[in-house]
Amino acid sequence: MKKYTDLEYLKLPKAKRFLVRIASSVCSIPAKLFGLIMKLFSLLKTIAVGIYNEAVDIFLTFKNGDWKTRLSFLVMGFGNIARGQVLRGILFLVFEIVFIGYMILAGGHWLSLITTLGKNGPSSVYDPILDVFTPVYNDNSFKILLYSVLTVFFIIAFLFTWRVNIKQNKIAQQILASGKKLKSSKDDLRSMVDDQFHKTLLALPLTGIIIFTVLPIFFMILVAFTNFDGSHNGYTNNLFTWVGLDNFNTMLSWTANSQGSVQSYSATFGEVLTWTLIWAFFATFTNYFLGMFVAMAINKKGIKLKKLWRTILVLTIAIPQFISLLYVSKMFAKNGIINGFLMNMGWIDQALPFWEEASWARVSVILINIWIGIPYLMLITTGILMNIPQDLYESARIDGANAWQQYRKITLPYMLFVTGPYLLTSFTGNMNNFNVIYLLTGGAPTNPAASSAAGSVGYTDLLVTWLFKITTGAEAAYNIASVIGILVFVAVAVISLVVYNVLPSIKNEEDFQ
Amino acid sequence: MSQNIVSSKVEKRHMGLKASRNLSNTAIYLLLVAISIIWLVPFVCILLQSFRVESTHQVGYVIPHVWGLDNYKNLLNTDFPKWYLNTFIAAMATAVFQTIIVLCMSYTLSRFRFKLRKPLMRFMLILGMFPGMLTMIILYNVLKDLGMTQANSVPGLILVYIASSGMGYYVSKGFFDTIPKSLDEAARVDGATRLQVLMKIILPLAKPIVIYTILTAFMAPWGDYVFARYISFGTSSGKNVAVGLYDWLNHDQIDKCYTMFCAGGVLVALPVTILFMCLQKYYVEGVTGGAVKG
Amino acid sequence: MACVKLTDVKKVYDNNVTAVHDFNLEIKDKEFVVFVGPSGCGKSTTLRMIAGLEDISGGTIEIDGVVVNDLQPKDRDIAMVFQNYALYPHMTVYDNIAFSLRLQHMPEDQIYQKVTSAAEILGITEYLMRKPRALSGGQRQRVAIGRAMVRNSKVFLMDEPLSNLDAKLRNQMRAEIILLRQKLNTTFVYVTHDQTEAMTLGDRIVIMRDGIIEQVGTPTEVFEMPHNIFVAEFIGAPKMNMMTTKLVKENGKYFVTPFGAKIEVDGKKGEELAAKGVQPQEVFLGVRPEHITLADENSPAAIPCTLEVNEMMGSELHLHVYTEDETRLIVRIPTINLSHEMRNSLVYGKKMYITFSGKVMHFFGKDTNENLIY
Repeated sequence: MKKYTDLEYLKLPKAKRFLVRIASSVCSIPAKLFGLIMKLFSLLKTIAVGIYNEAVDIFLTFKNGDWKTRLSFLVMGFGNIARGQVLRGILFLVFEIVFIGYMILAGGHWLSLITTLGKNGPSSVYDPILDVFTPVYNDNSFKILLYSVLTVFFIIAFLFTWRVNIKQNKIAQQILASGKKLKSSKDDLRSMVDDQFHKTLLALPLTGIIIFTVLPIFFMILVAFTNFDGSHNGYTNNLFTWVGLDNFNTMLSWTANSQGSVQSYSATFGEVLTWTLIWAFFATFTNYFLGMFVAMAINKKGIKLKKLWRTILVLTIAIPQFISLLYVSKMFAKNGIINGFLMNMGWIDQALPFWEEASWARVSVILINIWIGIPYLMLITTGILMNIPQDLYESARIDGANAWQQYRKITLPYMLFVTGPYLLTSFTGNMNNFNVIYLLTGGAPTNPAASSAAGSVGYTDLLVTWLFKITTGAEAAYNIASVIGILVFVAVAVISLVVYNVLPSIKNEEDFQ
Repeated sequence: MSQNIVSSKVEKRHMGLKASRNLSNTAIYLLLVAISIIWLVPFVCILLQSFRVESTHQVGYVIPHVWGLDNYKNLLNTDFPKWYLNTFIAAMATAVFQTIIVLCMSYTLSRFRFKLRKPLMRFMLILGMFPGMLTMIILYNVLKDLGMTQANSVPGLILVYIASSGMGYYVSKGFFDTIPKSLDEAARVDGATRLQVLMKIILPLAKPIVIYTILTAFMAPWGDYVFARYISFGTSSGKNVAVGLYDWLNHDQIDKCYTMFCAGGVLVALPVTILFMCLQKYYVEGVTGGAVKG
Repeated sequence: MACVKLTDVKKVYDNNVTAVHDFNLEIKDKEFVVFVGPSGCGKSTTLRMIAGLEDISGGTIEIDGVVVNDLQPKDRDIAMVFQNYALYPHMTVYDNIAFSLRLQHMPEDQIYQKVTSAAEILGITEYLMRKPRALSGGQRQRVAIGRAMVRNSKVFLMDEPLSNLDAKLRNQMRAEIILLRQKLNTTFVYVTHDQTEAMTLGDRIVIMRDGIIEQVGTPTEVFEMPHNIFVAEFIGAPKMNMMTTKLVKENGKYFVTPFGAKIEVDGKKGEELAAKGVQPQEVFLGVRPEHITLADENSPAAIPCTLEVNEMMGSELHLHVYTEDETRLIVRIPTINLSHEMRNSLVYGKKMYITFSGKVMHFFGKDTNENLIY
């Protein structure tokens, strides 16, 4: 592609300028992707180099260490205690004892079972007194997997602590060698609310995130490679075990698994994903533009009772969504108020199939979502609209711009610039908008072709509501749910990455900073 | 002569401007009134129907033929009070703990520059891309082992609500970022530890965002369906209001419970809405700031 | 009450940008030192390192002989006034000033004493119960100073304290800082980008550029003997004129030949050149605007030039002129020396002659930009 200098570019006719811009941003995509891959590589390289450096450092610490340091390799915290930092030392030591105790008593056992996720399934034993077979439960695949993951996390934490312990010995040795004094336990406690305060503050939130988010996500990623479902629940009926990539095969191969008229998972997945993206697009942008429009209408000079209009809209935010959504959903039902009203007025003879026909239902959820979403956007855009410097409009008016041109050339670019990141999060948020879909339609109307494939998928089901149905339905196909979860993650991540990395080139041109 | 034409043209345009402004304002008023009606109708309907006593199923009209408080009285004979209490306790506890956790997280990320700060933020961004629902399968099993599900769902619910709340730090971090760093620095030079800076300088200044965080944390459990559905699994006394009322609208229940649902909905919405309206100012501040900061 | 010693102090940011290179300086007890330089020269960073608000990447900082590198700001016994004042918006003026004393658990009656006496000195007694947002810029400035004053700390740090004030108030506060300094009698480190503040306030001035110290000296030293072109142009307003010319030596005497004129380097300057053994060469010749005078057309030292802009400043005129080779010069002439006709004739395009004496010249190496005499 020809490179234009600034002056050459400015000489081009308008249409061509636009084309040049598009072309240049398209042309930059490969380079951007390449850059991304290179970034990934350099990250891997950094990690590898980091590990190597750590290993070298550990070795050198041992080589140059005195006996206190060397003994600390085995007995964590020994060096700290021997050098007078009793508090730190005891904490290290306690952690090591707990870790070793856990590994001997439980961790080792769980880890040893991870390759098979349990050998002995449930059996039954004849009870001669009662003359019945009572079930006997043995291994529990779920627990084996769960505690194995936990144990792995624990081991990583231990290795990390061990490394910190060694580093501290090295530093302490250096400080003492240079003739300075070490921090006392009292200093340590004091620094917890001062220069190390961030660690104190982060301890609780991060523990929560690791235990309740990171660990479960790891677990669920692993489940995607097992046959964990309703008929292999790992304890009371059958154990579950590793099945490799079978679930992904089921999910992604476009021909496999089609039995008669029933759709395969893969076809269903394609349909649901398509609808999810369409939904997210419309849900985001209808709200965005209509919300902005309403905000501008309320903020227009000369409009009175601004506060009243705003409060009425904000009411929708205040009332818990399940009430308003469930109620509205029933309003549009066959025997609901809307149909009743329309029939009483004699405008229709038959109830309108708001939730009964696929396209009606899809349009209805998008429209009702506008009802839910406009108030948020109205609030957000009001704040931003007020921040647009008034002199921009004044200068535009003097330059002869009419209302539409002012909107097109000032308001909109400014809004898009400021709310760019918000739009992205709101798009991905809508992809995962469980409440609106589930409370309004529950996914209905049901897609008969796909119904027996997984849960009962409907035409308005998003990937997340489908997930919910799969895991709570009779089949309880956790393995398939995990695969879908991973695919949702991939979809969201790809969209975010593309938007973050490709769009800024266009965005920068309308830089308002 | 020509001057005359020009001036009359100007005059005409001037008049046109004023008239067109009046016209557009009228159009906007009409629009706003229409919007207000559309936005208020469902709430008016639900309120009216909660007083309808002649029948309990859905009907095609709005104004009750027979008025009464029967639906509210009937609520007392169901598990509704229990659900209400469950939700209320969960909401109170969530408001307290989630606020503490969110403030810890956002203050740290706004004020401290440590090596893992950026990676940590990126990591949490990536974590947020996984559908949170998936983690419920395992959390349900774990909580069940701990005896925190079904009838004892409240502690389990609280734990689930607050556990990962550190990830929702964006809005309050954005607010903290707007408090000048030189205040922290001045206080530190004045002899304050980081803890004292937080308690004596930042928190008093962050009142709006603290209230915003409390408000959103308090409101979330009232509307939560997914987690409560998992954790209360099949037990009526462990449900929260959302799950309980949702079940009343099932095909086999709706004809019996529709008006009771309306009454329950009003009872749930009332306190939350009043609280929200009182603290609206802070909510607006938080939402606006959060979106701009991304 | 304390001396501050910086040895090889370095600041490297995470993105490998070096903000301060090997900074060496010893600030004596009760000295008033001013860091001055254009924005981004590292002066504020250095101050913040002394305060403990920035990590030190290399070297040591000592206060009263104690290395403070790893000490928290609160343990360094310093007081600081910030550029934007950093008053706590939710506290009254009284509480603002008392904040640090309360953190030291000082009894309330002592706090009262200290705060009111500081307020007295600064003339803010009547505002003690107000919140900062109800104060004007100058009043806020005083509160910020008061907050630092009550602490009786070893070192008093000020980070561009006057830059947010308007010109008139700035002059007034500058005078007050001089008075305050006499009352407090402690060590001051003051950061500014304004050379006038630096000249009027400092016992010594540290002129910085790109993280490097260009010159350290008293105001007189840096004005009369700038070590290089940067310092020469930075100190003094309007800035020093620079022209390219030849330095020649005839019969043991030095001459310069700017724009065809021939001016002898006489007096002390000539001796110093000779003492340094400076060879004839191409030089940058620096002359301050106030040292240029109007000249007689016939004088061999007269430089022909054309007037471009005439700025009437009241007591003096700033004449912007250009020579034959388009070199721009500024000439500063006291109004009192000019006749009425002369003043009226100074309009755009007027041909005129200027000159300057050899006593007031500065010579800088063509390649090094360094002062040849220094």
